[in-house]
Amino acid sequence: MKKKVLTVDDSRTIRNMLLVTLNNAGFETVQAEDGVEGLEVLEEANPDVIVTDINMPRLDGFGFIEGVRRNEKYRAIPILVLTTESDAEKKNRARQAGATGWIVKPFDPTKLIDAIERVTA
Amino acid sequence: MASKKGEQGSLKLPAVLDLNEATQLHGKLMSLRGKALVIDASAVERAGIQCIQVLLAGAKAWGEDKKPFSIAKVSDAFQKTLQLVGMSADQLQAQEIR
Amino acid sequence: MDMNEIKEIFFQECEEQLAELESGLLKLNDGDRDPETVNAVFRAVHSIKGGAGAFGLDDLVSFAHVFETTLDCVRSNKLEPNQDVLKVMLKSADVLADLTNAARDGGSVDDSRSRALVKELEALANGEVPAPSATVEVPAAATAAAPAPTDESGFAPIPFSFDGFDDEEEAIEGTVYDVTFNPRPELFAKGNEATLLLRDLSRVGEMSIHCDTDALPSLDQIDPEGAYFRWKIAVKTTKGEDAIRSVFEFAEWDCDLEIKVQEAATDAAERAEELPMIPVPFDLSMLDGAGSEGDADGEEAGAAANATATTAVAAAEAVSGIAKLAGAASRGDKKDAGAAATAAAQATAAAGAAPTIRVDLDRVDRLINLVGELVINQAMLSQSVIENDANGTSSINMGLEELQQLTREIQDSVMAIRAQPVKPVFQRMSRIVREVADMTGKSIRLITEGENTEVDKTVIDKLAEPLTHMIRNAVDHGVETPEKRVAAGKNPEGTVRLTAKHRSGRILIELADDGAGINRERVKQKAIDNDLIAADANLTDEEIDNLIFLPGFSTADKISDISGRGVGMDVVKRSIQALGGRISISSRPGHGSVFTMSLPLTLAVLDGMVVTVAGQTLVVPLTAIVETLQPEASAIHSFGASHRLISIRNSFCPLVDVGRILNFRTTQANPVEGVALLVESEGGGQRALMVDAIQGQRQVVIKSLEANYTHVAGIAAATILGDGRVALILDVDAVVGASRGQSLKPEMSLAATG
Repeated sequence: MKKKVLTVDDSRTIRNMLLVTLNNAGFETVQAEDGVEGLEVLEEANPDVIVTDINMPRLDGFGFIEGVRRNEKYRAIPILVLTTESDAEKKNRARQAGATGWIVKPFDPTKLIDAIERVTA
Repeated sequence: MASKKGEQGSLKLPAVLDLNEATQLHGKLMSLRGKALVIDASAVERAGIQCIQVLLAGAKAWGEDKKPFSIAKVSDAFQKTLQLVGMSADQLQAQEIR
Repeated sequence: MDMNEIKEIFFQECEEQLAELESGLLKLNDGDRDPETVNAVFRAVHSIKGGAGAFGLDDLVSFAHVFETTLDCVRSNKLEPNQDVLKVMLKSADVLADLTNAARDGGSVDDSRSRALVKELEALANGEVPAPSATVEVPAAATAAAPAPTDESGFAPIPFSFDGFDDEEEAIEGTVYDVTFNPRPELFAKGNEATLLLRDLSRVGEMSIHCDTDALPSLDQIDPEGAYFRWKIAVKTTKGEDAIRSVFEFAEWDCDLEIKVQEAATDAAERAEELPMIPVPFDLSMLDGAGSEGDADGEEAGAAANATATTAVAAAEAVSGIAKLAGAASRGDKKDAGAAATAAAQATAAAGAAPTIRVDLDRVDRLINLVGELVINQAMLSQSVIENDANGTSSINMGLEELQQLTREIQDSVMAIRAQPVKPVFQRMSRIVREVADMTGKSIRLITEGENTEVDKTVIDKLAEPLTHMIRNAVDHGVETPEKRVAAGKNPEGTVRLTAKHRSGRILIELADDGAGINRERVKQKAIDNDLIAADANLTDEEIDNLIFLPGFSTADKISDISGRGVGMDVVKRSIQALGGRISISSRPGHGSVFTMSLPLTLAVLDGMVVTVAGQTLVVPLTAIVETLQPEASAIHSFGASHRLISIRNSFCPLVDVGRILNFRTTQANPVEGVALLVESEGGGQRALMVDAIQGQRQVVIKSLEANYTHVAGIAAATILGDGRVALILDVDAVVGASRGQSLKPEMSLAATG
């Protein structure tokens, strides 16, 4: 059974890179453009794992993660945060918001897939 | 607890035993207290630690109640998960003593 | 999709982000302190940095990084975005744009400029941020980054002395690590799972495990989401401690974790006695979500089949829906269909931001071309039906009317695809204003209005150059220096206002400055000096103002670096004319000047009046025509050898013989036998164009002559009429210009006015 990944990122470039990488690795991919849309599609997507950016309009990554963790049904979904190397502070905030792990940008495909494999069964 | 001997409950575990399922499972076990219990774990695909904790607590409770608590059918995945976390299916059994 | 395509997307996105960045910075400059504005600005730079990193565009990344850091200070209220700060930021935005362009097109960037800005940005960031907080971040980042590279390195240094082992043995045997792992409930709440961590740990090496369940409360007391199990694990691996630690990378904050090398002296059997360790088999691939592969696949296949069936049904319904719509349309229920379409459009609008797609421009152009052909074809069909069906009552005629209506609607819709807001061009102008103001030491504020006014993409593309020139001109020549402004009792900060709006099927772009206005004395003197006008010429203020559009005119005493560059307003005027537009100026001394440009919304179709001149069919753009009139002999007055005037309501207007000017005939036509088209030319003057007869009005599809043949003086383009004949579209301004004595040949007109 294909694992389903929900990606949340406002950058079209990053969305496309995620899509290509994940599809090539045999994942099913659902994409949202910001935190609000991410929460909206959660029910329908019912993903096995979520990959989200931090800086996004309307609802940022922290808010989105908190939203997922508050959701009775989906709170157990592992969430990986896309972050840049230097953002130790952001990493911590993301963890406090309930992130499962992180992927350092710019990601290379193996790192991304590896991180996803680590948090999913 | 004046339960009649021979009264038997059964519980089929769902495919995914995750964080959300732990509370459900706990509730189900609580409602089955006092009955001899046979658990069917044949459908389990994914088992998290918290459900295993609940099951183990259940086995202990049944042991204290001196009621049988057994896992009848075990899926390969469940079996291997138990092995991985350093447990065995035997630990999740309680014998009826005497 | 491959990486090149994604890179293309990245650059497109960069353009959008740069526009977002600039407009955000300008808002901040205007005193906007909405946190969302700051966030949007930050995100734009962050997003460019992120994408650039993915493509290894290091220059872009490093500059964006410094910029981002400074913006972050603004975001966290450590740095007040005052005018000085924003000046640096706006310049940085310009450099970021340059770096982006260089990354895409391979050009080079002014290194010294970007280096200087990096320093300024860093100074801003450091000036307000206490140094310690910056140094705290570094080790944290280093720790986080550390595990990754050692993953594959095989031998990591082991902080222990192995006297008893030789290297070879160690490599084969590996080192045994004792791992204590006590998860806390937060670990689970964050979506981590101990079973998965243990799974990954088992992959690091040979593993034995003991699960300590002593802390488990009774069933009554247990918190189902608590964390009660603890583990003692022995892992034998050659990969080193870091490999083990990296397994817990995501979890180490939420568990007590201890990893140490097992003491060699410890007797394995002894240990086994105190803690029963269960060996974990190496192959636990069953946990990789493949639990019941066969069943799942079966289900999936079933679901897929179902989905396909559903889709098919939906598709069938959609098709029948289209059939119904088509039926409705063919029955003549056009209004209903139209209403439905409008309702649908409104529904889309109501649903917030309408979904958009990106389409290759070539595809749109192909479609536009085809629709153009369709329009022509439809016109030809109509004509032949009318010719062959004299009584005109057949149902074919009614059908044709429908067809005509539909064709027109399709055409409008297709044109709308190409329509885009002028915003990007307007945004580019603010950079020009900044740079020129900087160079000339002026303080100028650009206000833009109507940025969302839409116009054909071709028009937008071609608008940038003349507009740039005009803006440079307005800043360089229009607005005075702050000292002069203060002396004149004005705000030292000058204002340049750029406005776009739709007016009667055209787009009107106004560029207004609050500078000194045209110095008419000087302009006139310059024109006389340059032999552009006679020394005794009697010109109205308006006519004097419009002298600046004459070729070779420049009022600046010295050709400045900014608006000089060898081009004058005549070039601007010609570019606007080439777009089928008009430009004029009005000026109030001491109060500033307003340039007004009127441009067609599209370059693909044109509403024209079809006329006959010397047996030739010509099309005159309807927008140029003010009115048509039948001249009477009494209204015609000769003036000079070949000049004639026509009196219209007590004013005189030069009569232009189109046939003569285009060399269709050698003798002058008799005005009384023809029709006069009163046209407005730039500069406001009116001329009466003489043609032989009017055939009618119609919309024509413009076919470029340059593309198919070559440029013909006095002719703007060509078209194909309904009867299949080719007709030429008149270039009204060129013809009017020629009537003033300027030759129609461009190179000669330059020589004449040199």
